Amino acid sequence: MNLKKNGNGGRTVQRALIEGAAILKGMGVTFRHLFRKPVTIKYPEQRPAVAARFKGRHWLTLYPDGDERCVGCELCVIVCPSQAIYVKAAENTEEKRVSKGERYAEDFQINMLRCIFCGFCEEACPTGAIVLGRDFELADYSRQSLIYGKPMLQEPYPGASGRDPHSEV
Amino acid sequence: MSQTPANPTVTLTIDGHAITVPKGTTVYHAAKQLGIEVPIFCYHDRMPPLGACRMCFVKVEKMPRLQTSCTLEATEGMVVETESPDVVEARQGVLEFLLINHPLDCPICDKGGECPLQDNTFKYGPGASQYVEPKRHFMKAIPLSPVLTLDRERCIMCWRCTRFGEVIAGDHALKGHERGFATHIDIPPITMEGPSKFIGNTIEICPVGALTSSAYRFRSRPWDNLGTPSVCTHCGVGCAIRYDARGGEITRVRSRENAEVNDVWTCDVGFFGYDYVNSQDRLSRPLVRRGDTLVETSWDEALNLVATRLRDAGGDHAGAIGGERLTLEESYLLSRLYRSLGSANLDYRADSLAAPDTRDWGWGTEGTMADLDRAGAIVLIGCDLIEEYPVVWLRAKRALDRGALGFAIAPKRLEIDRYLRHNAVVRYGHEALVLLALSKLVAEARGAEAPVEAAALVDLDAAALASRAGVSIEALRAAARDLIAHPPASFHVGRLALDGPDPRAVLLAANTLRAVCGGGALSILRGRGSAAAAAVAGMVPDALPGLAPTDDAAALGRLRTAWGRDIAAKKGLDTPGMLGAAAAGELSFLLVAGADPAADYPDAEAWRLARAGVGFLVVQDVFLTETAKQADVVLPALTHAEKNGTVGSIEARVQRIGQARPGLDGARADATILQAIATRVGVPLMYGSVHEIFEEMTTVIPGLAEGLAFPLPRRTARVEREAIETILASAPASGGGATLVPVTSLFRLGEMTKRSPGLARLAGRPTATVHPLDAARWGIANGDEVEVAFDGRTARLFARVTDETREGQILVPRSLRLGGRAHDGTVRRLAPAGTWA
Repeated sequence: MNLKKNGNGGRTVQRALIEGAAILKGMGVTFRHLFRKPVTIKYPEQRPAVAARFKGRHWLTLYPDGDERCVGCELCVIVCPSQAIYVKAAENTEEKRVSKGERYAEDFQINMLRCIFCGFCEEACPTGAIVLGRDFELADYSRQSLIYGKPMLQEPYPGASGRDPHSEV
Repeated sequence: MSQTPANPTVTLTIDGHAITVPKGTTVYHAAKQLGIEVPIFCYHDRMPPLGACRMCFVKVEKMPRLQTSCTLEATEGMVVETESPDVVEARQGVLEFLLINHPLDCPICDKGGECPLQDNTFKYGPGASQYVEPKRHFMKAIPLSPVLTLDRERCIMCWRCTRFGEVIAGDHALKGHERGFATHIDIPPITMEGPSKFIGNTIEICPVGALTSSAYRFRSRPWDNLGTPSVCTHCGVGCAIRYDARGGEITRVRSRENAEVNDVWTCDVGFFGYDYVNSQDRLSRPLVRRGDTLVETSWDEALNLVATRLRDAGGDHAGAIGGERLTLEESYLLSRLYRSLGSANLDYRADSLAAPDTRDWGWGTEGTMADLDRAGAIVLIGCDLIEEYPVVWLRAKRALDRGALGFAIAPKRLEIDRYLRHNAVVRYGHEALVLLALSKLVAEARGAEAPVEAAALVDLDAAALASRAGVSIEALRAAARDLIAHPPASFHVGRLALDGPDPRAVLLAANTLRAVCGGGALSILRGRGSAAAAAVAGMVPDALPGLAPTDDAAALGRLRTAWGRDIAAKKGLDTPGMLGAAAAGELSFLLVAGADPAADYPDAEAWRLARAGVGFLVVQDVFLTETAKQADVVLPALTHAEKNGTVGSIEARVQRIGQARPGLDGARADATILQAIATRVGVPLMYGSVHEIFEEMTTVIPGLAEGLAFPLPRRTARVEREAIETILASAPASGGGATLVPVTSLFRLGEMTKRSPGLARLAGRPTATVHPLDAARWGIANGDEVEVAFDGRTARLFARVTDETREGQILVPRSLRLGGRAHDGTVRRLAPAGTWA
């Protein structure tokens, strides 16, 4: 505070009072919050609860019978704004049936370092195969390990990702 | 625009814009010229209009209903609207109906992303359907052939594919079956010939995903593909194609338009024969012989060894064979390297016993293939056009449809027989006699119009010649009349005659015939890939680069200027000459670049002796071919899909190819290999890029230019008395047994095509074609496994009993390598049909 002597003592006192009140008001906020419940949590000892529509890591979901929903159509690939997805399709055979139709994804990779979690892939997917889950703890030590392949992305059992395996798109 | 009776025009108004077009133009084309897009499905501008899909509706003033613009001829004063409310509504209605039973499985459809039905629906469709009932379902993905997959649910019955088979290819490979609601596309129940050679085109022109390629199936989506314009180098036609690659893997081949060559079509070998590029069998390390085995080595070691042996061999004792699989720049480099070392032992013909004088009878066309459009008669002499140069047949068929006369003289009935006026099935090796008899009949009929020298033919007994060759004199008389009535004739000599017992006699006889007919192009349809143009680039023993005579002072001067050294004006050895010299121990170094004489040279014994006698054999190739297995050093090369440069076709047309994928690790382009060898032998060939090599070629070879066909020299058309004597002396005596005739099948090309699973299945089992009368005599039925015995050798084949061949003539695969002689063979039944899978 820089109180200048300008020969007008009354004005200086008035100003000091106004500014003092402002400090008290500000400290009031501080003290009020001092006794409230903190918004931060002690991560990682404490886990945060994410919102219902939070977009986290992807899952490739299954039908109840274990068949993959993904048909390898690559619509997620073309819609992805950060070009994070790679899909290579192959054909189902009598001996090896992976998905319902003629076509399935032989290879499916998502580069988690590139992904911006916009959810466009989920929106574009014609079979509801790819969903963004709620898991956000994706940090790792190498770039390679952050390119998720099918073993990482496939849900371990139908419904594991939280998506109802019986529901259609 | 002036209105002359010769080209009358009409003026019409489309969407308020006036346009004047030649009379006969359809409203669709007039709109297209104005830049107004009218959506279509069934119409294809290479086929006549049909009006099946009803997508191209327009409103025409004073006409009661909407009209299909693709079938409607523009008339004077017509007022057309393409965007009026009723047209928009009609299009929406058409699309709604088309989509009623369409499965809308775009996500898994190979056409999705480049589908006219998708695009038109997006642009002109109603947005929503009123149809809620269940759709019609069929079995998905029916394999109609090893390369073609049909999805009946997606088909919109536009008839493009069936009409392609009727109008363009003439093979009727696909047909509409049943009627009305039950209509569907399928292969005809009975096919007389083997598989269609052009089915890939139906995949390209299908406006939906009903016909898709089995080879490309699910390999990539359109937006993944990186396209590179290139040229197909399988046969010699040089079709313009586009390679599509994804992540360095060639996923498919599409045809590109080139009106001078392939129009917009390509054959199935071009469409489906690309898997070899991605093959795991590719050579990626140089190999060097240690005792009986080839072991991997470093490039330096291999190149040093090659260079040392080449330097030791010196000029006259070194030879090189190749050119078909090289770019023109590479052929030129190889020729420059050898000629600089003082050797002209260079030949582009690796699979031919005969190497007649290049300046008279060099492989390739006289004129261009487009000249067929103006030909009055197309004469095929031992030329199985559809098996060897399939896309040339499409052009020939167009000419025949226009009214040109088709005439074939061959030891078998050609597959295209039904489009030919005459098909003389001659005794093997007797083509020259038929041509001579025909020459005499033509000369006789033309009388005073025939050239003066034709008098030499007067004494010939045409009937006797015809009966020796086994054809009817009446048919020949009719053919002679037709030939005179349909000028100009275009003569095509092919492999059935050129690999026969006396190719020179056939060439002389063909030249005689064209002389008495008053001229006409004489094309020698032989050689794959860049063969004909490799000769122009210098891979030829009896001419300089540019096919100049070896003593042409001007050409030698140009070479001196460009190369900075004097080139000896001498002829070298051709392939048979080189192999002979090698067998005699006079050739100490043989370089084989992109050729496989060990498998292709028709005389297996000659090659075996040559290999045993040659000091050092170097092979540059993509795969470990038969020749490579016998080599001292094998240098892994790159394929056409991995190189830049130019290639030539059967008409020596120079076309640019582009690198469609990165070169295989460890392999090098033939040009790079040749430059490395040249540096090591002390004649460095320094160029900054392949473009620089081509620049130099255009200065050394006048007339060489990108996109143009180099004019190949040809013997003058004349009747020669010596020729007649040669022909009469040449005719082989008819043997007592059955004559074996080596024939070519399109789908059995070799190392490259066998690596495409679809083509391998199309090729089927190797067959021996037997005439029904012979079959009855020998107790053979169609499909039996048989043993063909000849010359103390035997071959196991599968019998095909048809009257395609003559009695006493068995058609066998060329891979038996009969060595150019007429063999007598016997056929023995091993197992009945069906017992052998």
